[in-house]
Amino acid sequence: MEPEIRIEELSKTYYPKQRKGLFKSETTEVEALKSVSLQIHEGEIFGLLGPNGAGKTTLIKCLTTLLLPSSGDAWIHGRHIVEQENEVRAAVGCMLMGERGLYWKLTARENLEFFGALYHLSSSDRKLRSDEIIELLHMEEIADRTVETYSSGQKMMLAFGKSLINDAPVLILDEPTNTLDVPAARELRGLVRELNEEGKTIVYTTHIMSEAETLCDRVAIIDHGEVIDLGTVPDLKSSLHRDHVTHIEGVIPEAARAAVGSLPEVTKVAIAVANGTTKLTVVSSDGRVVLPRLIEALTENGALVQQIEPEHVTLEDVFVAKTGRTLSEDTRVV
Amino acid sequence: MGTRSTPMKRLDGLSALFSSLVAMSRKEFIIMRRYPVEFVASFGQVFAVVAVFTLAALMFSSSPGEFAEGTGGGVVIYGFALFIFLSDTLWTIGYNIRREQKQGTLEALYLSPASKFASLVSRVTNSLIWTSLLVVAGVWLMSTMLGRLPFANPALGVFILVFALAGIFGVGFGFAAITLRIKEAGQTLANALQFILLILSAYFFPFGALPDGLLAISRFIPLSYAVDAFRSTLMGYPPGFPELAPIEIEIVITVLFGLLMPIIGYLLYRHSEAHVRKTGSLSEY
Amino acid sequence: MRGKPSLRSKLSIVLATAKMRLSLVSRYKGQLFIEILIPIIFAALPIMLGRATGGDAAAANFELNTGTPDYAAYMLIGSVTFMIVSFAFWLVGYWIRFEQETGTLEAIYLTPTSRFWNAAGISLYSAARSLTSGILAYFIGALIFGINPFKGALLLALAFILVGLIPLFGMTLLFGALVMKVREANSLVNMMQWGVSLLMGVFFPIIVFPPLMRALALAFPPTWMVNGVRSSLLGVGYFFGEWYLDFAVLWGFMLIAPLLGYQVFRRVERGIKRNEGVGQY
Repeated sequence: MEPEIRIEELSKTYYPKQRKGLFKSETTEVEALKSVSLQIHEGEIFGLLGPNGAGKTTLIKCLTTLLLPSSGDAWIHGRHIVEQENEVRAAVGCMLMGERGLYWKLTARENLEFFGALYHLSSSDRKLRSDEIIELLHMEEIADRTVETYSSGQKMMLAFGKSLINDAPVLILDEPTNTLDVPAARELRGLVRELNEEGKTIVYTTHIMSEAETLCDRVAIIDHGEVIDLGTVPDLKSSLHRDHVTHIEGVIPEAARAAVGSLPEVTKVAIAVANGTTKLTVVSSDGRVVLPRLIEALTENGALVQQIEPEHVTLEDVFVAKTGRTLSEDTRVV
Repeated sequence: MGTRSTPMKRLDGLSALFSSLVAMSRKEFIIMRRYPVEFVASFGQVFAVVAVFTLAALMFSSSPGEFAEGTGGGVVIYGFALFIFLSDTLWTIGYNIRREQKQGTLEALYLSPASKFASLVSRVTNSLIWTSLLVVAGVWLMSTMLGRLPFANPALGVFILVFALAGIFGVGFGFAAITLRIKEAGQTLANALQFILLILSAYFFPFGALPDGLLAISRFIPLSYAVDAFRSTLMGYPPGFPELAPIEIEIVITVLFGLLMPIIGYLLYRHSEAHVRKTGSLSEY
Repeated sequence: MRGKPSLRSKLSIVLATAKMRLSLVSRYKGQLFIEILIPIIFAALPIMLGRATGGDAAAANFELNTGTPDYAAYMLIGSVTFMIVSFAFWLVGYWIRFEQETGTLEAIYLTPTSRFWNAAGISLYSAARSLTSGILAYFIGALIFGINPFKGALLLALAFILVGLIPLFGMTLLFGALVMKVREANSLVNMMQWGVSLLMGVFFPIIVFPPLMRALALAFPPTWMVNGVRSSLLGVGYFFGEWYLDFAVLWGFMLIAPLLGYQVFRRVERGIKRNEGVGQY
């Protein structure tokens, strides 16, 4: 089956000028994207992770036709991003600029209807669709106020709503929960999940690891214009081959401790006793696999387990391991 | 929820173009309405400018009547009318692009499949309405100050005006193209262009007042012929007018200006657009 | 060392503000060049109109109406003075809105410096920029129009401008108070500067106004500035007949206008702080 988004050897090089004096400047070359190839399947939520300057925005701008690539090809919904750019635009709903990209002197309703017109919706459909989106985002009370009176969070929600106006099969959302408070961010993520359940393919960029971990089916890690790694979140985590640590608390007799230590995946067991409670720290090669066996070994040998706390490998750990940097570092060169 | 159960109707072809044009014009009009101080201030500004230059011109006459009976009044007011259109065009069509760039809405426009031609033309629509009102206000004030103004050949005057305006709008498109690339420097260029054309296209005085060197340069600017033809026609061709060439030739030049300049301006705009999409500076602010 | 800042440190704030804005504007060389050209072009418009429509009688008619046949110098002086006045509106009157637009206003308000010294720094910057452009425009314009730029009492003319600047800045602070409240400040400033050019008689003597308008024009420091400069250089006639009497009026303005302007500005500013906060834009 044809992927919904297919990217083949996509490259983008910028030629910024650097000032060398009052009248002299030197043209430099910056490869923002280096032969990126990806396939995103229909109905996926696909995450793009990378620090500032990694090339995420450049990639997204190429896909949404805002930027012409230097070489390579990409197709969205079967349309080529350069040769069929208008069809691509019609097939994609975008939230790229956050609260920029809205007319501050127009109301939310007017903004939505206006952008609906730009997506060639008929007059009646524009009005209906705008009403639907306003209701969806619970913006009825502010919909007829000009955007300049909104808070940052409200503007972001409206920007998200704008991306839904043309009911496109593909949604590209660039850090959509930026500046949203916790409840609003949670609400937006919920909406993203619902939209995905309806069949939309979603490309989602974020700095927030927990968002990528909970939302995305697959994630691509981008750094210095290249895809460093790609896969489902569990696959990416397990690719680290790091020791997994599990903490177990309870009443754990000697036999149970010995049974735990004898499990083939367990490499180390540390024991601490305090106030009649034993705390075992179990180091194993694969926490997912070993956990049920740990519980079985403990319960079959008379242990009373009160608490189990696995130490998880996070996506941030994966990122750091793959790139050598944290997500907060800025690697912008353009 | 997000996806509608009944698919939405999508327009195509001419109806899509027309729908985009109407929506964009309407958007510009709504935004304009929400700047009431700007609306009132623009009239105040026009009154002040007309009063300043009329009074200045009167200092060279022994009476207002003498100035009005001569060609002075007609030269100033009809030149003023075209100048206001030029100035407004440079700012609302040309520099407006810069405002959208800074706001982020230019990029938002480019994310949609809507026609970019419609985007440019929609800015013209509101400019036309607003500026026409300003011109009427200016003409009224000057008539009040001077008592009377020459007014002849209205039909031909309107014909020349239509093509002069089309040409001016084409200049606006070209200026939008430049602004996309040079960004903030576009403001300086808009100022410079206005002032250079103020002199070289002799909006406020007869071409005869220009030194020979500058007059020679004026003859290369199509806008100069449009200005000369327009005001000479409305003044009823007093002796010495038109100044640059016979009226028939000036009308031909104006018509060609009106037909070709929008095309040239639009092509320049598309070329600049391709450039900023290559360099990724569509949203730079 | 914390505590009450000395006069010296306050003056250094004035200088630092002026220096910062001058170095900012020096990066826009094209803009600076245009600033010198603009008054020359503005003066050229009525000069050329007058020459063309007045014909041989242009100079004679002009002398009858204004008191001098030297219409080119008359227009050029008016145009240059108007440019200085216009700068004051844009740079001083619009100052707060400029800081709002660039997002630096809140940062300024977080410092312990009184707004008076910030305003003084901006005024110094405006004076430096406008005087430099104005003097250059005057001499280049004189070359273009064939005027003798050294004719008349140059130093007295400069004195009228320098003394006139202070009440002018005070007046623009009054205007700045209005700008803080109004969102569409650009349009307001555009309209004001043309209104000011009319009221001060940029290209004509204010005697042409009806009595009420003439009285309003006389309550306006730039009117005394431009007439003082014209009278010093062209001998068109001081309002009160002697230069020192007109000068005294400007001194009176100088004492009242800045204080009044600053008081109103502070009052409006306090109101804004109470309501929406100064960062709101």
